[in-house]
Formats: sequence, structure tokens, C-alpha cells
Amino acid sequence: MKKISLALAFLLIAVCTAFAQDNTVEMATALRSSGKIWVVVGVILTIVIGMYIYLFTIDKRVKKLEDR
Amino acid sequence: MNLLREVKTLVLKDLILEWRSKHAINSMFLYVISTVFVCYQAFKTVDDTLMWNALFWIILLFASINAISRSFVQESQYRQLYYYSITGPKAIILSKIIYNTILMVFLSVIAYLTYSVIFKNPVGDLLLYFVAVLLGSISFATVFTMVSGISSKTGNNSTIMAILAFPVIIPLLIVLIKLSNNALQGLDRGISIGEIAVLLAINVITVTISLLLFPYLWRD
Amino acid sequence: MRKNWWKILAACLVSASVVAGFIGPVPELHILNESIRNVYFHVPMWFSMLILYLISVIYSVKYLNSGDIKHDIMAVEAVNTGIIFCFFGLLTGMQWANITWGEPWPNDPKLNGSAIATLMYLAYLVLRNALDEEQKRAKISAVYNIFAFPIMVVLLYILPKLTDSLHPGSGGNSTFGELDMDNYMRPVFYSAVVGWILTGAWVCTIRYRLRLLENKSNKIQ
Repeated sequence: MKKISLALAFLLIAVCTAFAQDNTVEMATALRSSGKIWVVVGVILTIVIGMYIYLFTIDKRVKKLEDR
Repeated sequence: MNLLREVKTLVLKDLILEWRSKHAINSMFLYVISTVFVCYQAFKTVDDTLMWNALFWIILLFASINAISRSFVQESQYRQLYYYSITGPKAIILSKIIYNTILMVFLSVIAYLTYSVIFKNPVGDLLLYFVAVLLGSISFATVFTMVSGISSKTGNNSTIMAILAFPVIIPLLIVLIKLSNNALQGLDRGISIGEIAVLLAINVITVTISLLLFPYLWRD
Repeated sequence: MRKNWWKILAACLVSASVVAGFIGPVPELHILNESIRNVYFHVPMWFSMLILYLISVIYSVKYLNSGDIKHDIMAVEAVNTGIIFCFFGLLTGMQWANITWGEPWPNDPKLNGSAIATLMYLAYLVLRNALDEEQKRAKISAVYNIFAFPIMVVLLYILPKLTDSLHPGSGGNSTFGELDMDNYMRPVFYSAVVGWILTGAWVCTIRYRLRLLENKSNKIQ
């Protein structure tokens, strides 16, 4: 009796974990854990900050023209 | 009360002018009948109710654009100057909107009758469909009157009219087609109350905005 | 530098939203997976577009009241900048829709609405081109701008709520607030929105000042 119930419990747990695995959503955890996501962030940050610096220089140029 | 009296006189004047020449009504009548007939030749029968509905609204849309785009152009420069000296801009835009609404209601009833005679009429809820047609013609009239006022100030009229009017009318048309589809399928009337309310609200908004903005257009 | 603090703020907010948007935790959702992070970049485009159009309408009203040609220039430059943001919103939305909904242009009321709104503002620019005289052009296009704006608001806000939409918050879909259960996304999202709106306003003012300079040099000649 004990053996059967143990086996049943085992089965239940196995089924549960199988279902749980089905429910997980695939996320890019590998990219994050290896730290390579920072490369992507760095690249995009460079572009964004570069764009803003560029905007600032345009702004300055316009200001110079206005002051003339 | 003064404004109301002026509006009444102006609407009567437009109606009488129209009655004497019967130009707009006759040409629109022919236009509607010939487009319906062209569609009939092309399709023979329209079994799909969705298609039936879409075709009807397209015919009505182009007929109304043609009817209303002339509403400001037909007035000569001197006559406008004369109006300018005797009435205010508010009376003029209101009278134009009312006149165009009357014209459009008449036109859409004719269009609906000819259309449903030539094509088989699959409407499930006749009253609701009629309400949709009525609301549609009123909203076409209110929107197109103002847009034709704007486009009459530019030189090349017809293209500008179409370009300006279509983006403004499409949202209304989406609601109208949805409402009339409900009527075609004979759904419960409670479902369509939201659409009717949206249409009425848009009409109220357009009329008030026209009243507010037309004086600026007029003062040219 | 006293007047420029908001430009620096815009740069900081957008950069911060980039970092937090890539690194920070997001709710794990089916179909969307990691692409939920697009919320930080795609949605602010639409918000900045709407704010720019709103600025344009406000300046059109101001123009009709005052007759000052500067207000008209501000209105048209706001529309010009808003259209750029609108195209960014459409392009990014199409890329995102392609992987989540299976096609770049699903028949969705929000998509169609934004396309029609684009047409409306392109029509505004065409109308401006059709008129030569400066005063008349300013006045008539201001009238059209004010006339079209409420209908655009109906188009973008009320119609999608009436019909089924794939976008969150309409047609039985859960809203953004329900998706974001741990409330982590909210601050990042709002900072991104504010940052991009400020950026849009900044670009708009630069264009406005350039236009004023052009006008000035034309007058001198």
C-alpha cells in the first residue's frame, strides 16, 4: 500500500513539473546571465547619447545665428 | 431671435433658388441612378449583405461630395459681398448646414429607394437602417459644408475638397457602416445605441466648431 | 544653461529608459516574451505625436486670436515634427506586429485610425502648399487644423474602444495596468514617455527657430 501511494505521489509530482515546464515563458535569460546584454545596452546608449549631443550642437548653432 | 430669422430667410432663399432651377436635385438624381446602374451592370446581383451595405455607402459618399462641394462656389463674389453687408457669418454657415442637411436627406432617401429597387433589399431592421441613413446624411452635410467652405478659399477646388474631406469623413463612415450592418442583420437595437450616441456627439461637435471657426474664414 | 535644463532632462530620461528597459525585469507573458520591452520605445512615439499635434492646435487657436504669424509657424512645425514621430510609431509598430500578430498590418482599428490621422495631417500640409498668400494660408490652415483635431481624437480614442482591437485596453483585452502586475514597468514607461515628449518638443522648437531665421533673412534681401 505504502509503495503504491509513494509511486502515485511521485507520478503526481512528475506530471506537475511537466505541466509547470509547459507554462514557463521563454525569456532571454542566457543573454542576461552571460552579461552580454550590456553590450546591446551600450551600443544603443551610444547611439542615443550621440544623437542628443548632435541635437545640442544644432541647438547651439541656431542660437549663434539668432544672436547675430 | 434675430439670428434665427436670418437663418430661416437664407434657407428659404436657397430652397427657392433650388426649386426654380432644380439643377442640383436633377443632376444628383441622375448621378445616383447612373452610378447605381453602373454597379448593377458590374455586379448583377449582390448576395453578400456586407457588400450591399458598403456599395450603398460608397455611392452615397460620392454623391454627397459632389452635391455639397458646390455649396459655396456657386455663390458669386458679388453676392458674397452682399451677404457680408447684410448678415453675419454665423447665420450663413448655419443656413448652409441646414440647407445641405435638407438636400442630403432628400438625396439619400432617393438613393436608398433606387438602390433597393434595383438590388434586392436584404435589410432586417428597416427603421434602424433608416435612422442610420438619416444620421449619415446629416453628418455628411455638417462635415462637408465646413470643408467646402475651407476649400472654396483655395483655387483648385475639387481635388483639395476630396483630400481635406476624406480623412475627416472616414471615422464617421466606419461608425455608420457598423451601425447599418447591425440594422441589416436585424440585431437587437440596444447594441446600436453606442454608435448612435457617437454619431450624434460628432455632429454636435462639428456644428459648434463650424460656428466658431467660420467667422475667421469669412472675414477674408 | 538655465533654460536648457529640460533638454538635459529629456536626454537623461530617454537614456535611463533605455538602460532600465533592457536590464529591468518584465512580466513573463506568452507570445510577447521579451518583446514586451517594446512598450518603452514604441508607445512613447504615439504619445509624443499626440502632444505635438495638441501643441499645433493650441497654436492655431492662438493664431486665430492674435494674427501673429509666429504662432502659425509654430503650429506647422509642430505638425511636421509630429508626422516624423507618427512614421516612427507606424514603422516600429509594424515590426512588432510582424512577430507577435503574424503580419505587419493586421486589420486593427488603432492601426487604421492612426493611418487615417496621418492622412489628415498630410492633407493639412497639402492645403498649406495649395495657398500662396501668407496670411490667407495661415488662417485657412489653422481653421482646418482645429476642425480636424476633435475628429482625430474620436478616431484614436473612442472608436478602438467600441470595436475589437488587438491592442491592450480595448475590445476585451486586458489593459496595460493589468499586464504589469509587479508595477515595475510603470516608472520606466512614464519616464520614457516624458523623455520622448520633451525630445519632440525640443526638435519642434529647433525647427521653429530655424524657420524664424529663414523668414528674417528673406526679409532682409
